[in-house]
Amino acid sequence: MGTLMKSLVFACAALAATLPSAHAAEPSGEAMAATCAGCHGTQGRLGTVEFVPLAGLSEDEFVRAMRDFKSGKRPSTLMSVVANGFTESEIRSMARYFAGVKPSPAQ
Amino acid sequence: MNHMPLLPALILSLGFAQPAAASSERAVPRTRSVAEVRATLASMPHGNVQRGKQLNQGLMCASCHGDDGVAPTQNWTSLAGQRATYSYKSLLDYQRGGRHENPRATLMQVAVKGMSRQDMADVAAYYASLPAKAAPAPRLDAAAHARAERLARRGDPTRLLTPCASCHGAAGQGGLNETPALAGQSVGSFVRTMRDYRTGRRITDANQGMRQFAERLTMQEIDELAAYYARMGKN
Amino acid sequence: MLNRRDFLKAGAGIALAAALPARAAAAAGHIVIIGGGVGGATAAKYLKLYNPALRVTVIETNRTYIRPYGSSEVLTGHVGMNDLNVSYDTLKSKYGVGFVFDTVVGFDPAKKQVRTAGRQTIAYDKLVVSPGISLQYQAIPGYSAAVAETRAPSGWIPGSQTALLTKQLQAMRPGGTFVIVAPPNPYRCPPGPYERAALVTEWMRKHNPSGKVLILDPKDSFVTDATMQLGWHRLYGYNIPNDYLSDMPAGVKNSGKPSPIEWVRAMDGGAPQSLDARTLTVMTKQGAVKADVLNVIPPMKAGKLAFDMGLTDASGFCPVDRRSFESSVHRDVFVIGDASIADAMPKSGFSANNQAKVTARAIVAQMAGRAPGEPVWENTCYALAGSDYGLYVADVFRLKDGKITRLPGERYLPLDASMAKIRLAAAYQQAWLKTFTEDCFA
Repeated sequence: MGTLMKSLVFACAALAATLPSAHAAEPSGEAMAATCAGCHGTQGRLGTVEFVPLAGLSEDEFVRAMRDFKSGKRPSTLMSVVANGFTESEIRSMARYFAGVKPSPAQ
Repeated sequence: MNHMPLLPALILSLGFAQPAAASSERAVPRTRSVAEVRATLASMPHGNVQRGKQLNQGLMCASCHGDDGVAPTQNWTSLAGQRATYSYKSLLDYQRGGRHENPRATLMQVAVKGMSRQDMADVAAYYASLPAKAAPAPRLDAAAHARAERLARRGDPTRLLTPCASCHGAAGQGGLNETPALAGQSVGSFVRTMRDYRTGRRITDANQGMRQFAERLTMQEIDELAAYYARMGKN
Repeated sequence: MLNRRDFLKAGAGIALAAALPARAAAAAGHIVIIGGGVGGATAAKYLKLYNPALRVTVIETNRTYIRPYGSSEVLTGHVGMNDLNVSYDTLKSKYGVGFVFDTVVGFDPAKKQVRTAGRQTIAYDKLVVSPGISLQYQAIPGYSAAVAETRAPSGWIPGSQTALLTKQLQAMRPGGTFVIVAPPNPYRCPPGPYERAALVTEWMRKHNPSGKVLILDPKDSFVTDATMQLGWHRLYGYNIPNDYLSDMPAGVKNSGKPSPIEWVRAMDGGAPQSLDARTLTVMTKQGAVKADVLNVIPPMKAGKLAFDMGLTDASGFCPVDRRSFESSVHRDVFVIGDASIADAMPKSGFSANNQAKVTARAIVAQMAGRAPGEPVWENTCYALAGSDYGLYVADVFRLKDGKITRLPGERYLPLDASMAKIRLAAAYQQAWLKTFTEDCFA
């Protein structure tokens, strides 16, 4: 399971690295996800719960969350600022990354 | 919904009005007697759904519990279709400092600090007005589903387990007094709650009533019941 | 202490006392990181995450890290000095990062090796330098490191000065004045001096109700200035300057009564000119200001090591290729964190953490013969105007025409934010202290 997950993550990362992105200069999902880690845990695998652990979140949940933060439908302190910093396609690729990471047992 | 004019009362409670019930004392969590819980609920103000909807946004509730009461992730509890008495009592428990089971409870204590009892009744009425939606859950095979359904509907007399439905309703809609609805609850929230009752981290229910049931269930049964109730909401 | 020439010489032509192999390990390569602060620790962890086959060695003088973020909470007793300690154990045990507790005294970029005070010569394939800041005590006449250690602490790099400042605050006479001399830009932790002022004011309301906090500032504005002042106003009756008042929510009105917290900007004569350590007096254009406790946060430049290694330019900070943070001076050397020139990014722990990850990815790509990917950075600074009153600045940064650029749009807590949001921001600030430390060190 762990190995499968790892190779899945690797495959996703490799895919992201080789495919041309819609946006000329789009960071990889992993690179964008790393900017979330200060609050949401390394690779989204947060060991506590004040912030939402992102590892293992379904793609749809992640995308909907970011969209709702952007629109203000979901109120936030600073997540609207963060969500506004990424395009739809970037949010999708971040979502793919997090969906492929095994959640922390502490979650 | 965001374009609705704010009611004057709402502006007050978003500002600096001091809530009547606010207390900064960090009470030691303790269980309540049935009489105490009844007295609390008897004095519950009549809730205003429309105002509750506004407060759900303005007081940041929607950030974790959803604009429509459906938690956006497993990290939080869904409140759509929740009985108003249960939501109201929970909010009061947080404000009285009775809930410390995890950092989420700490956040809730912060979130409810400025709420008046009317605010609490209003958001509770709003959540009660929303339809519970089926939550994502692992599919149960036939045997597992049968086990969960048996516990929910018939209980297990050999372990003195009364059926969940006798208090939480046949459709998980909640029952008498403050007994909460379970239909559509996220699996994460359901399992965490049962674990907290089992370990005695959560004791604010009347006479610690849930502990005896939670203790007698296995973790596997709890997981199966979680999936059973999560799928019970409307699709 | 070696001067820069000695420093470079000390790095060259020594191999005798080498405790570690002078040649970099064959397999995936050896990455050496100087400095085990937020930048260095994060770089070490993420290098191992991105490529576990790399050998990663951190050279750090101190065996335990003392975190600067959140350290003003020591002044008010919310946490103790020991709560600032962060262990390196998890980086060692969970990620396999090697640690050499020693001080770098020599650097030979041609041979790609550094030398330590403990006479070790350590060779690298890539070198990450994360030296933090150096406090320019001498930039204010009358101030010095010695004065900071004994009379007028800065407490900006946590340690003995933090403890001294805490003692001084607690021992301050009733009705005394706690003076904070704020630094000029650029400096570490932009909202920090003002958060400290707020927390000390809050503490004094309880413990020294007639005491005062006075900020003397060489600047006319600061990051989060409007939201921070609104917090001071609501909590302590602070009088908001007229030029800020027009943006404030309806109903915000100055009482005109003296407030326990005051901010004297450069335009109002607040810029410090010099100080007298004996009498704790600061000279400003407005005249002499007598303090009971004097907290001087002096101007800052890159950490001394960056100067010694010849990595700085005339600005006193280190020019880098923004895509990778590779030094513009030496190949295969990367400078991250407060010491680097990062354009719109503030000098903050969050920035250093994000820069470290960009650098780690660039190094892994370089070692594999690939071009580094498109970078992206974020910064979030939560700050407190009171222990239940949180605010923030948040940004996403992109590379644009070779410079790090802030994306346009809202970045502060809105001035009309509800109290629920403000309280939650304070709770999130406390949570962030934990989660951030975890991302850097565990």
